[in-house]
Amino acid sequence: MSGRKIGDVILDLNNISLSFGGVKALQNISFNVMEHEVRAIIGPNGAGKSSMLNVINGVYHPQEGEIIFRGEHRRDMDTHQAAEQGIARTFQNIALFKGMSVLDNIMTGRNLRMKSNLFMQALWIGPARREELEHRQKVEEIIDFLEIQHIRKTPVGRLPYGLQKRVDLARALAMEPEVLLLDEPMAGMNVEEKQDMCRFILDVNDQFGTTIVLIEHDMGVVMDISDRVVVLDYGKKIGDGVPDEVRANPEVISAYLGASH
Amino acid sequence: MLYRENGQFKTSYQADQQIFPIAQDRLGVLLLIAFAFVGVPFLVDEYMFRAILIPFLILSLASLGVNLLVGYCGQITLGAGAFMAVGAYAGYNFLIRVPDMPVLGAILLGGVSAAAVGIVFGVPSLRVRGLYLAVATLAAQFFWDWAFLRIKWFTNDSSSGSVSVANLDVFGVEISSPLSKYLFCLTVLVVLSLAAKNLVRATIGRQWMAIRDMDVAAAVIGIRPMYAKLTAFAVSSFYVGVAGALWGFVHLGSWEPAAFSVDRSFQLLFMVIIGGLGSIMGSFFGAAFIVILPIFLNQILPVFGAIFGVEISTATVSHFEIMIFGSLIVFFLIVEPHGLARLWSTGKEKLRLWPFPH
Repeated sequence: MSGRKIGDVILDLNNISLSFGGVKALQNISFNVMEHEVRAIIGPNGAGKSSMLNVINGVYHPQEGEIIFRGEHRRDMDTHQAAEQGIARTFQNIALFKGMSVLDNIMTGRNLRMKSNLFMQALWIGPARREELEHRQKVEEIIDFLEIQHIRKTPVGRLPYGLQKRVDLARALAMEPEVLLLDEPMAGMNVEEKQDMCRFILDVNDQFGTTIVLIEHDMGVVMDISDRVVVLDYGKKIGDGVPDEVRANPEVISAYLGASH
Repeated sequence: MLYRENGQFKTSYQADQQIFPIAQDRLGVLLLIAFAFVGVPFLVDEYMFRAILIPFLILSLASLGVNLLVGYCGQITLGAGAFMAVGAYAGYNFLIRVPDMPVLGAILLGGVSAAAVGIVFGVPSLRVRGLYLAVATLAAQFFWDWAFLRIKWFTNDSSSGSVSVANLDVFGVEISSPLSKYLFCLTVLVVLSLAAKNLVRATIGRQWMAIRDMDVAAAVIGIRPMYAKLTAFAVSSFYVGVAGALWGFVHLGSWEPAAFSVDRSFQLLFMVIIGGLGSIMGSFFGAAFIVILPIFLNQILPVFGAIFGVEISTATVSHFEIMIFGSLIVFFLIVEPHGLARLWSTGKEKLRLWPFPH
């Protein structure tokens, strides 16, 4: 972790509450994320971790609370707005575009930066053509970075799970995000795949300075790679701090870490 | 061994992003187009043009339009017949009401009108999907069937809703002989097919496919579902509308609303499903299957019967035609649910390795 310097608060969540009918998914949760840090959200199943990410990038709209992103106060996010402001995301159950090749999947991550109009695209002239080439260049850099050159023309539906996860990450990186939300990037992977993924996450954080918010169940991974950890349980925040603090927090131990630590 | 990309190294992204990156494909398609323009006119007679080739070209264009919406953007539609009708009647109105309106201009404006109508009837797609959307688009079909029959202004006050156009000329060339009609339709089809190929490899095409495959993920990376879906409706309806105008102006000459009934909508949807969803090539296969196969069966069955010394009556031929046609549809859908286009690409995939097993 050489050139990395933790900056100011980039994302601040204040008293977020979200409910679906009678189910209170999130209750009065506040925490912040600093620029360039790796921030983990942990908690047992159903604790509200994924809902939290969905609130941050605007898929869900909280009933109460406030989201402050880069100094701008807002009640909730809208998916398009979140994407435009540089929040990217990967999914717990891979949400790739199954009918498209790896390359096209990653190219979709560039859609917000492509401005040519429909007619130019239909005629493949001027800006449309130029844009395709420029963005292809950028996408190829990401493909190199994630070491998936050999599968760039393969339809994603044919890829094994571990590689699909990597393509999912590639698509998010293609947005050149400031904040990257990772929803269980290592779920269902074997040890080698997990190691690769950890390396990529740390490299993204280190080389691009991307702020990372991740949900993960593998405690070893979380404690190793994150700078700070927030712990949720039944929609409430029960712990927040650097890994060692969280590990020592008796409430966290009883709710989650249990006997394994 | 011929169909192989060995040794064709791409040294620029531009070369890698061509419509047909494999040289043999490029050559094949160019030869096919050249043959269609130069070879076909010497080989076929007037009947072939009128009964088979012109309907095939126009319905290919329409099914291409439907495929952009259903196959690429995943929005199912049962209103394609209505959009063809809008293209035809709008084109007709532009032609008779605007002084000195060129025919090509009227046809394209017919397409533009269909696109506008398509956007309006595409609005339900923002809330409903799948079969529910199919039913919602049926509304377009019933509405326009009714409108062209009952609102006399659209049909220039003709009593039965039937209208006709005559003396078509495009850039000074008169489009009246079957050959000139064929060449005109072929030109429109080739140009619009290339445009479609460009659209689906550009950012808009990727946005459509992203919406089709996983709409939440698409929204999260900044694609606006509204923009993607409504542009798909607009572009698709434009293609279908131009096809409708050609069907009326060039193929039929005079027509009434029944020419664009709900049957037509179903037929176009079947073409796309049989041909291959999400494949430009598949649109042509589907149209060929539905337009050409029945006629082919109709011609071949008596010949076939004669070989075995059996006289087959005309009525029997048409019964068999329907039976064989129906069973072929079932057969192809079982063998390859992704349509004829998938069979085609699997074949090409195999050919690339042939004669080695892998």
